[in-house]
Amino acid sequence: MTEEIKADILLVDDEEQFLKVLSQRMEGRGMKVDTSTSGEEALSKVQGKEFDAIILDLAMPGMGGMETLKRIRSENPDVQIIMLTGHGSVEKGVEAMKEGAVDFLEKPADLNKIMEKVAEAKQKRIILVEKKHEAHVKEILQAKGW
Amino acid sequence: MIQTIRDIFRVIRHPGDLFSISAADPYKSLKIRVVLLDAILSLLPLVIVVTISYFWFQSILKEDYRSQIKWQIENTKQSLDFFIEERVSGLRFIASTFTYEQLSDRKTLANVFLKFKREVSGLVDLGVIDSNGIQQAYVGPYKLEGKDYSNHDWFDEVTVRNVYVSDVFMGYRKLPHFAIAVKRELPEQGTFWILRATIDVETLSKFASAMNLGAEDDAFLINKEGVIQTPSQFHGNVLGKLTFPLPGSQQGVTVHEITESPHHECTICGYAELKNSPWILVAMIQSAPYLKIPRIFKNELLFIIIISTIIGIIVVTRIANTLVNRIQEAEKEREDAIAQSEHASKLASVGRLASGVAHEINNPLAIINEKAGLIKDILEVSEDPSKNREKFLGLINSIFDSVSRCRTITHRLLGFSRRMDTAHELFDMNDAIREVLGFLEKEIMFRNIRLELVLAEDLPRLMSDKGQIQQVLLNIFNNALDALLEGKEGAITITTDSKDQKIRVSVSDNGHGIPKDKLKKIFEPFYSTKEKGKGTGLGLFISYGIIKKLGGNILVESEATKGTKFTIEIPTTSTSQ
Repeated sequence: MTEEIKADILLVDDEEQFLKVLSQRMEGRGMKVDTSTSGEEALSKVQGKEFDAIILDLAMPGMGGMETLKRIRSENPDVQIIMLTGHGSVEKGVEAMKEGAVDFLEKPADLNKIMEKVAEAKQKRIILVEKKHEAHVKEILQAKGW
Repeated sequence: MIQTIRDIFRVIRHPGDLFSISAADPYKSLKIRVVLLDAILSLLPLVIVVTISYFWFQSILKEDYRSQIKWQIENTKQSLDFFIEERVSGLRFIASTFTYEQLSDRKTLANVFLKFKREVSGLVDLGVIDSNGIQQAYVGPYKLEGKDYSNHDWFDEVTVRNVYVSDVFMGYRKLPHFAIAVKRELPEQGTFWILRATIDVETLSKFASAMNLGAEDDAFLINKEGVIQTPSQFHGNVLGKLTFPLPGSQQGVTVHEITESPHHECTICGYAELKNSPWILVAMIQSAPYLKIPRIFKNELLFIIIISTIIGIIVVTRIANTLVNRIQEAEKEREDAIAQSEHASKLASVGRLASGVAHEINNPLAIINEKAGLIKDILEVSEDPSKNREKFLGLINSIFDSVSRCRTITHRLLGFSRRMDTAHELFDMNDAIREVLGFLEKEIMFRNIRLELVLAEDLPRLMSDKGQIQQVLLNIFNNALDALLEGKEGAITITTDSKDQKIRVSVSDNGHGIPKDKLKKIFEPFYSTKEKGKGTGLGLFISYGIIKKLGGNILVESEATKGTKFTIEIPTTSTSQ
């Protein structure tokens, strides 16, 4: 078992069984996992809470993975999204990355790989948040001028 | 080989068949026809031209040679006329210069004879005959003085006509001679006398043989009764009768051919009557060049025709072979290309199936993966695995569920691909449509497409090739899905109904539609309106072929930007193959 990573994760997939098992396993590795079975649900969850990473299935009925990705990114550009693709096609993955996903994984994916990607995503997010804070501090410094 | 010969005979018996190709072996039949037609077209003009030119050439030669012969005969005739004229004039001159008394003197006569002989050749003797027909004086090799000519024909003749040239006769020396006699009138005494000269025929015959003729030719004189007067090489001796009759005499020179001459195939006979003598000049020509040259010419022409026929037939056969082989190759290539495109289309639809199936299988596989991973996690963490027995069983059962989900998918795929090869079976069209839709339902679901099925309940079952019909349906459904626009709610309506032993399936979408100018081309091979790399351009081409083969019909209605409707009609019992 890899070392524990503390992270807030949102899992989005239409397969409930898959969600259940994967979240169990990730929680077993110390993560806080939230799940949604559709893009719409995921969107509403993202509005209420900030996640370290979102794992998003590409092929879903209703609002597809790609559409969900676009919508989440438009609301929160800093969010780290890892795509899961059942089609296993590199093309779709690349398309998703162009739309702002940080990475993509092919189904069925190895949990360790998922963990790695999540860790990377968290790292990136931390840097982003720090930069933001820095910018914010600078702004305050400049604005207040003391 | 036998077929070839039979075919040639058939064409000869029925020339109209030249343009209809036998079905048994169309290429061979075509080959024979090309060869025959080409040979006829190329050799017929050759034969015609050669034949015409042969006869033309012959007639020109004939005319040319005839006029040449005519001219020669005319020349010789004039020489002979002159020869005789010369002698007649000579005698006349002597008769008018000397008196009867002077010439009756043997000495004077001998003197005149010698002088005359010096001037004119062939003179044998000279005699003076009185009005009673008695030869009064004679100079010559015989003792003919006092001979009575009064009862000779020529004496009467010369008395009447003043001049007389005799036929040829054998003289006392057994040599052919002829005689010229001129009458001298003595009006004061009321009497006359005759001067008569005998001339050697040899001199005469020299003129005839001087005609410059070939070795096989013959020129001689005959008299009006057909008796030969001068030596002839082939037509009898002097004073012999000519073996063939000459046609009626005419003025001037006559040239004609004698074909029924006994010894020779063809002889040219030219003749002309002499002016002051009872003779006819005859030239018999065997060596006429136009009789021989055409024979050589004929052989040469025959040789040329045979050679060019052989060469022509060889070349034409070669060309026909190449031509027909090319056609055969092209046809085979076309068939191969169609077979290949059919295969490619099958592959394309299989590819589409495969990607759908892969997606469907990936989901349960992911579940299995995670469940197995969870079991592993629990085993690694927990000290006593038996505590988690219930949990394990639950996980393993859901693994089985996922496996059976995979199995259903693979079975469906196998069933579909197997049916691609089977032939006719009894099936329900609605079921067939639902089965095909089974492969596409995920895509329909993901893309939020509104699928409306208006399937007739009382649809009769049909006897046809289910696999192929499903291939067509899959192709049309795929096209409908591809036509739907992003960002607009897609709707596909599938309708079935039956009418007049036919089942009709309509698939309409509200996609981008097909512009009118492209609508005509959509059933053509390798024509695609899809973006590059997406369509093979074969789907509808193959579908069209399949539906036509099953005795059905495929129709399309479309309006650009509004949508497309495909309709297939299939007879419930397809008879055609």
